[in-house]
Amino acid sequence: MIHKCKEIESLLSAYLENELSPEESVKIAQHLASCPHCLNLKEKIEEILPKLSDLQEEVPFFLKNRLFNIPEISEKKKFAKIIYFPKWLAAAVGTIILFLNLFYFTNIFPSVNREMHSVVGSIETFVVQTGGWFEKIKESKDLLLFTFFNKKTSESKDEKMNSDFNLNKGLTKGGKNG
Amino acid sequence: MLINAYSKAVYNIALNFFADKDIAADVTQDIFLKTYHNLEKFKEEKNFTAWLFTISRNYCIDYWRKNKKYFLNNQELDEKISIPDPTPEDNLIRESEIVELRKKIAQLEPELRIILILRDIQDLSYQEIASKFSIPEGTVKSRINRARLKLAQSFIGGEQ
Repeated sequence: MIHKCKEIESLLSAYLENELSPEESVKIAQHLASCPHCLNLKEKIEEILPKLSDLQEEVPFFLKNRLFNIPEISEKKKFAKIIYFPKWLAAAVGTIILFLNLFYFTNIFPSVNREMHSVVGSIETFVVQTGGWFEKIKESKDLLLFTFFNKKTSESKDEKMNSDFNLNKGLTKGGKNG
Repeated sequence: MLINAYSKAVYNIALNFFADKDIAADVTQDIFLKTYHNLEKFKEEKNFTAWLFTISRNYCIDYWRKNKKYFLNNQELDEKISIPDPTPEDNLIRESEIVELRKKIAQLEPELRIILILRDIQDLSYQEIASKFSIPEGTVKSRINRARLKLAQSFIGGEQ
């Protein structure tokens, strides 16, 4: 293959799609007339190109079904991700709980056992104290609500009494006049 | 909506890229799965088709590279097994021609293959391909020319 053939090959598609200048097109046509190798290539491309558009196919029914199910699958995967808990973490937590129970309820290592009981004791004290705080907060909240509502009801009672009093006063006046 | 609008284009990219209907179906499904998973990221992008085509191209090329040995072995086997004589029925001739054409396309380099599929099979313009893959139009043209030449040469080589 001569150097000129390489140059012609690089321009073949543009030549077939009429994208070259008239001078370039004439130059290529002249070369093709004298070079069977390049002519063969050009004819083969011309033969293949129309066939390529026949390679389009419809999507098979089974695949369409699979594709329409994708959003559902990805939703399930998202949910699975949310509740995902690594196995190694679960194993580690389980082992720690097991050992804590062992040290707390048995006296294999007395020092650890003592330490754990003191920790549990301090936690219990803390819980009792916080319970006390919660009770106090609850009491003060109840007291606040009671005073607020009591004030409101007493105000409404006063208003009612006043209106009743005025009404009675009006009636007695009317009676006297009548 | 998404599937009705784009499944044919994506399936045909995969089918003509791998020349295998089962692999094309699996790859199409994977591409749509990937698309759904990454839909949140899309908001920043400008053109959805370009984004989807880029995912398809990258996925096909990655899949081919990961299973390169399998595909090359299959190609060798196909070359050794002679294609049966065409039967007189026209549709069967056409079918065998299509299969042969797909196999020849599947032997091209992945980058040439994808551009040939978009230009000559899916009939996209040079400009559209260039904008979809963010490459210069001149590069698309030279790749198409190389792909066509190699395809023609593979047929000429087979005839000789």
